[in-house]
Amino acid sequence: MSIKYKILKAIDVAGLNFLRPVILLCYGEEPEEQIRKIGLFIAVPIMAFCLFLYLWGLFAPMHKTKSGEVPTPSVVWDSAKGVWAFHVREKNKANAYNLEGDSRDKLLEQAQTRLSELEPMVARVNEQLAEADGAMQSSLASKIEPIKAELDSSKNAMREAQKARQADLQARAKAIAADDTAAKEKLLEDYRAHLAQIETERESLRSYEEQIDEIHNADFPQRAEAIRAQSAIAEERQYLVKLIDTLENNRQQKLSDIETRLEGFESSYYEASGADLLKHAKSITRTESLMVNAADSEYAKPMTLPDQVLRSVACVFAGFLVASLIAIPVGIVCGLSPIMMSALTPFIALFKPVSPIVWLPIFFIIVGGFIPDPDKHWLIAGLAELPLIGWMKINPAFIASALTVAMCSLWPTLVNTALGVASIDKDHINVARVLRLGFWSRLIKIVIPSSLPLTFAGLRISLGVGWMVLIAAELLSSSEGLGKFVWDMFNNGSSQTFAQMFVVVFVVGIIGLLLDRIMIVFQRLVSFDESPTSI
Amino acid sequence: MEKPIIQLENVSVGFGPESDRTEVLTDVNLRVMENEFVSIIGFSGSGKSTLIGLLSGLVKPDTGAVFCKGREATEPGPDRGVMFQNYSLLPWLTVYGNIELASKQVFPNLSKAELKEHVEHYIEMVNLTPAIEKKPHELSGGMRQRVSLARTLSIKPDIMLLDEPLSALDALTRANLQDEIIRIWEEDKKTVILITNDVDEAVLMADRIIPLSPGPNATLTESYNVGLDRPRDRTTLNHNPEFIELRNAITQSLMAMNAEAKKLRSNTELVMPDIRPLDLSAA
Amino acid sequence: MKQLLSKITLWATALGLFSATLTAEMLDVEKTELKFGFIKLTDCAPIVIAKEKGFFSEEGLQVEVIAQPNWKTLLDNVISGNLDGAHMLSGQPIAATIGFGTKAHIITAFTMDLNGNGITVSNAIWEAMQENDWDLDVDQPEHPISADALKPIVEEKLIAGEKLQMGMVFPVSTHNYELRYWLAASGIHPGMYTTTDIGGRTDAEVELSVTPPPMMPATLEAGNIQGYCVGEPWNQQAVAKGIGVPVTSNYDIWKNNPEKVFGVTYKWAQENPQTHLAVVKALIRAGKWLDATDENGVLVNREEAARILSRPDYVGADYDVIKNSMTGYFYFQKTDKRPMPDFNVFFKYYCTYPWYSDGIWFLTQMRRWGQITEAKPAEWYFETAKEVYKPAVYLEAAKLLLAEGNIDEADIPWDTDGYKAPTSDFIDGILYDAKDPIGYLNSHDIGNKD
Repeated sequence: MSIKYKILKAIDVAGLNFLRPVILLCYGEEPEEQIRKIGLFIAVPIMAFCLFLYLWGLFAPMHKTKSGEVPTPSVVWDSAKGVWAFHVREKNKANAYNLEGDSRDKLLEQAQTRLSELEPMVARVNEQLAEADGAMQSSLASKIEPIKAELDSSKNAMREAQKARQADLQARAKAIAADDTAAKEKLLEDYRAHLAQIETERESLRSYEEQIDEIHNADFPQRAEAIRAQSAIAEERQYLVKLIDTLENNRQQKLSDIETRLEGFESSYYEASGADLLKHAKSITRTESLMVNAADSEYAKPMTLPDQVLRSVACVFAGFLVASLIAIPVGIVCGLSPIMMSALTPFIALFKPVSPIVWLPIFFIIVGGFIPDPDKHWLIAGLAELPLIGWMKINPAFIASALTVAMCSLWPTLVNTALGVASIDKDHINVARVLRLGFWSRLIKIVIPSSLPLTFAGLRISLGVGWMVLIAAELLSSSEGLGKFVWDMFNNGSSQTFAQMFVVVFVVGIIGLLLDRIMIVFQRLVSFDESPTSI
Repeated sequence: MEKPIIQLENVSVGFGPESDRTEVLTDVNLRVMENEFVSIIGFSGSGKSTLIGLLSGLVKPDTGAVFCKGREATEPGPDRGVMFQNYSLLPWLTVYGNIELASKQVFPNLSKAELKEHVEHYIEMVNLTPAIEKKPHELSGGMRQRVSLARTLSIKPDIMLLDEPLSALDALTRANLQDEIIRIWEEDKKTVILITNDVDEAVLMADRIIPLSPGPNATLTESYNVGLDRPRDRTTLNHNPEFIELRNAITQSLMAMNAEAKKLRSNTELVMPDIRPLDLSAA
Repeated sequence: MKQLLSKITLWATALGLFSATLTAEMLDVEKTELKFGFIKLTDCAPIVIAKEKGFFSEEGLQVEVIAQPNWKTLLDNVISGNLDGAHMLSGQPIAATIGFGTKAHIITAFTMDLNGNGITVSNAIWEAMQENDWDLDVDQPEHPISADALKPIVEEKLIAGEKLQMGMVFPVSTHNYELRYWLAASGIHPGMYTTTDIGGRTDAEVELSVTPPPMMPATLEAGNIQGYCVGEPWNQQAVAKGIGVPVTSNYDIWKNNPEKVFGVTYKWAQENPQTHLAVVKALIRAGKWLDATDENGVLVNREEAARILSRPDYVGADYDVIKNSMTGYFYFQKTDKRPMPDFNVFFKYYCTYPWYSDGIWFLTQMRRWGQITEAKPAEWYFETAKEVYKPAVYLEAAKLLLAEGNIDEADIPWDTDGYKAPTSDFIDGILYDAKDPIGYLNSHDIGNKD
């Protein structure tokens, strides 16, 4: 087999067929045809995406709501960088807590140098902001004052007029005789006119108010820029201060402090005598236990987006695994036995359409029932000790989210597996009968392999469903992950919120895409006929 | 009298409920002796595959019984190897895997090396060694049929039931495989029952030919003994008067049975209105 | 040589630290890694500051501070043990302990802050209120603004067969009681809780519903509610975005009312007494840091606190918005920025002490609005407050801090019996004496009387 064929086969299995013309072009096969295909499969999508970015950048600023404006691609990119910077800073702090010796001293020195560089800049940006603020205030005042004056004067005039009309009506009312129906009718009419006039006057005032509002809400780029500059510096400064603080009080420092103290206690213990001995002994044992605590301690790092992404992926796979472990055997049983299929059909029909939002609280309660005291539960403690996933701090919320994912995503696999098993080729069964294969070998050697392509098609749909469900589940369970990130950022209600949502859109989309690709590869590997997998 | 290795006694098979029953096979009797090569010939749709099903045990008779080596056979088993019309290879296994699966099941006591040797021997026998690691969908129809043949042979059945194994193949491949089957049969001297719709094929290969009357209510009719000497050479056979006579006799008997069946059937058939759809493309 | 010198200085600093901590005998905590929950509100500051300024770490605690989506989940997470403790509404430990809502024995040894809430109404309602009371239609209307100008709007709506809808954050939240107090003080009935009506809308003229704090501005803008009572930054957010007008702060409804507490389960406190003590110590220091002032009485640390709180994993709102209320200012309208030095109080006025009288006020409100369905004797109020509020833990922590020199003798009410002096600093001027809860209940026009 030639290398070319191997490469083509590999990209075919990997579902990367759009690369095919590139490979063929490299081998010089029908260059024109390949270039046409490259144009179609690679250049067109890229251009479409660029067009999308352009239109997005063009139209986004046009749409403004009171809650914020739709971010442009560059704002989203900045926001993504911000999210990343936050991650890097937190990671550095966590590392700083563990650093010892030279590397610690070096980092400390670096941080202090940078901090001293920042100090003069702080004053400068503050000044700039004050300046911008002043400029904005005076600009606002100069724009608003005339309108405001007009508003006030017309408002006063109207109020005066209203009062006068009211008084006039009052006076007339007093003068009307009890049996003067015509006059009474006239009064009622005039009163109505009076109210209608108030309404129109109010309407006319509203336009002034709207103008003022508009001026207030207008962008003031100079000030926005100043605020951004100030925030950038203030945030970096805050980070450095905390970093230095962490370095100065990190584990190593704490341990050496406690050690010195312990030495002190020990020497005084051996010097002391009599009743004091026990008191000193207590000090020693307590300090020793403090030392154990300090040696075990870790910087309590908040979960940042990359951690949350990994945790989400872990969660979706956990749920997916549970779903597969349930759906495939049940699907096989259903496919084999019409009785089981008939018995389970109502459940499938009943539970399949239920939303994750409903399952989550139920699983929450169930999981909570099994794990009453998470910190001391063997499962949670055991999972925390595992090497690769220990840092994820798997907790009941994680388990409940994973189970919700499982519950919502097992149906496509179940139904497809049942279908695959039920629609097994009769000839294959005849082969098994002629060979007198027993139940288990018939199942393992004939039934399962022949249903695998459909099962994997189901698994692929399941994983996609699971990924969509997960975000909702995490959002509700506040299990650390993308869903919680979305909810937290939404709850922040900051000027960055919308941009962060867009960041999440791309992160979720890209990961969903990767998961789907992985499943396609698996599906291709188990499919024994040449039928192409839908992309 | 010599005991038949496989025997059908007054066997009938039908489908459907009592009120609307279709009898596929009625009152079929068949006796096949050891080492005999019997060919059953009939029109398509006459119930040939059902007959193979009966012989292999995959189909249960409604009345009558199937005897294999003197005992009533109710279940299929590897003593009666079936070569299915549409190969029935497991598409997720390679050529090797397909044959290994069958061999391992039938000869569980073989060691790994013995098993490998066994499987390779049969692949060699059908000349498929170069394609040993290929999957069925990568093979041509003839190659697939050869795999199927090798699988059937590899379980060393006492009786080989070949269900129109060559009908889907082109003439050249077909001739090749015919020779191969005859060669293997002559080497191993197994009992073979070949189902076919090709009179030439039947005469070329079999010791005895039994026509199957067209269904419904199909049954086996009088058999013809083929007295031609072996090995039979297909190039000269066409001019062999005995061959021509036998072929004509069988063909005529089949045609006659078919005409009779049609007459019988037309009584029950609905009279179709005498209109034909216009073939617009022809205009 | 230079290296040696720097090493010596390093050792010197280490020794300096050592001598500082020598007096501070570290507590032998049962648990070093803790998880505390909070809701994205500026009054979570003591927890965040204790972490970021290293007060927890100095007690040997590594604390993870985790945002919670709503008060119910927060409480559930504390009860189920997913969280060790949390920033809680004052009413939550009390309600949980007496079994209104989820039943669980929750205690508190630390009050996190005073005041800090506001009532915001939509622009349309504000305009209508201005029509009803022309005095409100100026740039800086006189405070306090009562609900009197709202009453005609409510009545008009009732005639049209509608009820004004307002949002609050939780059935047992301070916000619920404050909003009810404000409405009832102007004769607007906010509805009663009954055994069958756990939404608290029986006889309501204005219907109140639960909305999580961060959702308030969006819900107001969508028109599902016409006003809300919530903590910061969600009132300032409404002003910044121009979707509503804060009419009053809770400082005007009840001067220096207790707001949030730090709650843990009774079981947790029993199992981790030293840890609890260490946590309260750190929180007291955080409170003191937050309320530190210079000689002119200007809060010196609040800008830094606002900067920390604006981090996305804490409150996360824009620094500008958080800064307003945290540094002692409040925008009632874009044109109406006022100094409110006591908008958030984290330490002054003995605020961090867990007062029994605070607990009793919440109990009287629960009874007043029918969340407590039957009449209870005065003793029950005293007993329940004692079950929830644990000044003993607070005082022990304070003693340790005093010995370490981290607080002053005058910072703590050492000799109090846990009851604040009777006060009539309410919007309607009714006297509250915690030692006579029944009398207090009976002094209101609207609501249950015993």
